[in-house]
Amino acid sequence: MAERILELKNLTMQFGGVKALDNVNFHVNRGEICALIGPNGAGKTTVFNVVTGVYKPTSGEIDFKGKSLLGLKRNKITETGVARTFQNVRLFGDMTALENVMTATDVHKKSGLVGALFGSPRARREEKAGRARAHELLEFMGIDHRADQLGKNLPYGDQRRLEIARALGTEPEIVLLDEPAAGFNPAEKVALADTIRKIRDAGYTVLLIEHDMSLIMGISDRVSVLDFGKKIADDIPSVVQNDPKVIEAYLGVPSDAS
Amino acid sequence: MNFSVLTSQFWPLLINGLAVGLIYVLISLGYTMVYGVLRLINFANSEIFMVGTFATVIVTRDIFKYTSAHEALHGFRLIATLLLILLASMLFSGVTAVLVEIVAYRRLRSKGTNRLASLISAIGTSIMISEAVRILTKSAPVPTPRLLNKFFLFTIGSVKIRIDTFLVIISAALIFFMVDRFVTKTLLGKAIRAVSMSEETSKLMGVNLNRVISATFLIGGLVTGAAAFLYMQVYETTVFNVGFNLGLAAFTAAVLGGIGNIRGAFYGGLTLGLFEQFASAVIGGQWKSVTVFTVLVLVLLFKPNGLFGEAIQQSRV
Amino acid sequence: MINLRDKGAQLWEGWNRPKRVTFAVIAVAIVGLLPFGGDFSFTSILNTPVSSYQSVLVYPVGMFVLMALGLNIVVGKSGLLDLGYVAFFAIGAYTAGVLGIHTHLNTWEILPIGMGMAMIAGVLLGLPTLRLRGDYLAIVTLGFGEIVRIVALNTQSIGASTGIPSIPTPPKTFGLKFDIVHNNSYFWVVLILILLVIWMIRRFTVRRPGRAWEAIRQDEDVAILMGVPILRYKVWSFSIGAAIGGAAGVIFASKTQYVAPNMFTFNVSVLILSCVVFGGMGNIWGVIVGGVILAYLPERIRFISNARQLVFGIALVVIMNVRPDGLLPRKKREKLGAVKEAKEVPNG
Ligand SMILES: Nc1ncnc2c1ncn2[C@@H]1O[C@H](COP(=O)(O)OP(=O)(O)O)[C@@H](O)[C@H]1O
Ligand SMILES: [Mg+2]
Repeated sequence: MAERILELKNLTMQFGGVKALDNVNFHVNRGEICALIGPNGAGKTTVFNVVTGVYKPTSGEIDFKGKSLLGLKRNKITETGVARTFQNVRLFGDMTALENVMTATDVHKKSGLVGALFGSPRARREEKAGRARAHELLEFMGIDHRADQLGKNLPYGDQRRLEIARALGTEPEIVLLDEPAAGFNPAEKVALADTIRKIRDAGYTVLLIEHDMSLIMGISDRVSVLDFGKKIADDIPSVVQNDPKVIEAYLGVPSDAS
Repeated sequence: MNFSVLTSQFWPLLINGLAVGLIYVLISLGYTMVYGVLRLINFANSEIFMVGTFATVIVTRDIFKYTSAHEALHGFRLIATLLLILLASMLFSGVTAVLVEIVAYRRLRSKGTNRLASLISAIGTSIMISEAVRILTKSAPVPTPRLLNKFFLFTIGSVKIRIDTFLVIISAALIFFMVDRFVTKTLLGKAIRAVSMSEETSKLMGVNLNRVISATFLIGGLVTGAAAFLYMQVYETTVFNVGFNLGLAAFTAAVLGGIGNIRGAFYGGLTLGLFEQFASAVIGGQWKSVTVFTVLVLVLLFKPNGLFGEAIQQSRV
Repeated sequence: MINLRDKGAQLWEGWNRPKRVTFAVIAVAIVGLLPFGGDFSFTSILNTPVSSYQSVLVYPVGMFVLMALGLNIVVGKSGLLDLGYVAFFAIGAYTAGVLGIHTHLNTWEILPIGMGMAMIAGVLLGLPTLRLRGDYLAIVTLGFGEIVRIVALNTQSIGASTGIPSIPTPPKTFGLKFDIVHNNSYFWVVLILILLVIWMIRRFTVRRPGRAWEAIRQDEDVAILMGVPILRYKVWSFSIGAAIGGAAGVIFASKTQYVAPNMFTFNVSVLILSCVVFGGMGNIWGVIVGGVILAYLPERIRFISNARQLVFGIALVVIMNVRPDGLLPRKKREKLGAVKEAKEVPNG
């Protein structure tokens, strides 16, 4: 059995009358690319939000590396190794691309204000290491030439790539990517699929929300399907693809079309 | 510290606490309703109150030409005059509130800039109004002529209730229940509540956001103006910065009740009014605003959603 | 005016270290000689009608610039609206008053204590309120500023409404005398403090704390999800700002030799905030220019001074609506050529 790096147990998230997640059981194995799919409003982003501590779930458990994430502060959750991107790009627009990533690489630094003020050796060392790492990640995402541009001035696609670089900057064990290919053309999607594979091969676990089926089916090791807050399928791509419940959820009617 | 007053003065403190508390309730509606639709504190609400108190003076003194030497009014004439002054004060404050929204918030909202800009713009508007009045009045307190013969109406327990206290308690409670009915029953009230719950959804439902926001400011202003009128019937003097402490207290009341929550404001205002009266009786009136402030910080620290309120909407990512 | 800021940055970036040092030394020397600027016939236009020009340079000009720089860390760098900055100024001033009267400590020994007291007040106020949304902070600080004044007003042991008179001036230091006729000495002390603060802010800005504050200012929900301990950095920002306000208070008290509650009204907070907003939130040079203009003009042109607050209120609204970046906008740290260079590489 693969190690379950992230596991949601009987998770329910209620907003007023709306059950955005309804008793969901779901896990991600270490080292895999797991896709989370479902129609709009199914509760996918909500999964990211409860895992990263944005919402406190109504009931249920969230375990990461065997330890509960519930009750941890959001920045501590990030520190323990969970990083994410956002469905609507949320960069620090008035910072350069490099600074965006460096803000993330600061997570594991030890030096604080005093070090910064007096330029202690550790602060200098960490600053240098963070800068180098940030360039490395920008390079990895193919946008190092944008390092000195402001986040808000980047072209849309590069903003999405920068978000991924920033997430990786926190040195996570799992990255949660919320519709990273939204608005991409087919060529860009292919490139992105490669990048996601590269991310996995670099040792990260990936949980991916995506709408593009061919992209999902091409790279995922496993696919989970949410519909109206309930998990309706969870299997390898080829099985999920032909699951009548999934097809129904997507088309709204029972159907045998694929 | 003098705890014996708590028992010896119990009834007078209770009655005064009720009257002050109900004035807080009305002012805090101006904060709570605007917070509901904008998710921003209406910093100028204290000035909207101040404008109302001056409107009371101006209408009484300069339009009705009453002077302090004038004999007290009676009967129908008294009631009609008071009602007209009340309406005028409400109108002044209501119009000021609508203008505040246009000057301080509207343009920034349409540009979608960050909250800090809106906050600073609102505080600037507030300073603008109070400074203009300060310069016009040369910082001097301004009295309003007394129209009511302030006799004692009746006795409850050991306390004689004066006519003005009675007037405040009855009118403020009445106005509150009218606002509450308005917000729950009318179409406009429902639109306001819809915007409070979710701006986006209400837009999808075809609510005209600017109209609803203006209406909210108007209602908040009208109610704050009514509070100003009642305040003047009891205290009879105003000054350019009269709104500062009252505004802070009313805001505290709103927070106590759970900001954005109209009925919460009712309980919050009453609780604060009573607490403030009893506490100042024990530790001295000069510490009143310190007491209020301490309550505010403690509530924010331990019950940021208020003692009576529902949770404020969580942030959304 | 955006160009002015960028031109300056461009020039600076083009210079090597010796050039930069020379420039800085000359600039500081010129500012240091400013007190003599009113002494010649052609510069006498600088002289102010009521208080002497040298005195105006210390208070309000130097003091406002110092406090505006401190408040800028809070409002401009971290995006936290502090409407009660006067409280920290008052705490510093009263610390100087009380310790100056009741102990043998001199001003320089009191200075760190005053800063510490202000900082502690900042932490105590900040810890409960900085967790909350920004507008709560605004109103709580607004209340706090007023509360500090009311407490001073009602506490007999610190003089209640009469305040504390006969606060000692600083001792003779490096041959400089400090008293009513020696305003220049105070000016140089304030100038040194300003330079220290500038140095500190510049250090912070390019390193981790600056990034954390910047992230918090731009989007605190995302900042915390990227692992920034936002409460800690907010409290730091708040209390560093407070300490600078406290320092200003200590110097102020030792110059006026007298403190009273009515010196520490909400108006002072508004003035300092106006300097920050007018000059350009987040930009040190903007804030300095803003502080100089807003402090000096009302002294020079007396007829504005009664309407000063009114003008500032209007200015706050107009600036926020029309030019939220103020006179000199915050840094646009996009390096020159970054855009051009980028165009040549295809999207990948
Ligand atoms: N903060 C919130 N308040 C109220 N409802 C919410 C909130 N966040 C999400 N929801 C609701 O939860 C449901 C799931 O949303 P979401 O997780 O964003 O769906 P998606 O699968 O498209 O990412 C939707 O009905 C949405 O309206
Ligand atoms: Mg989503």
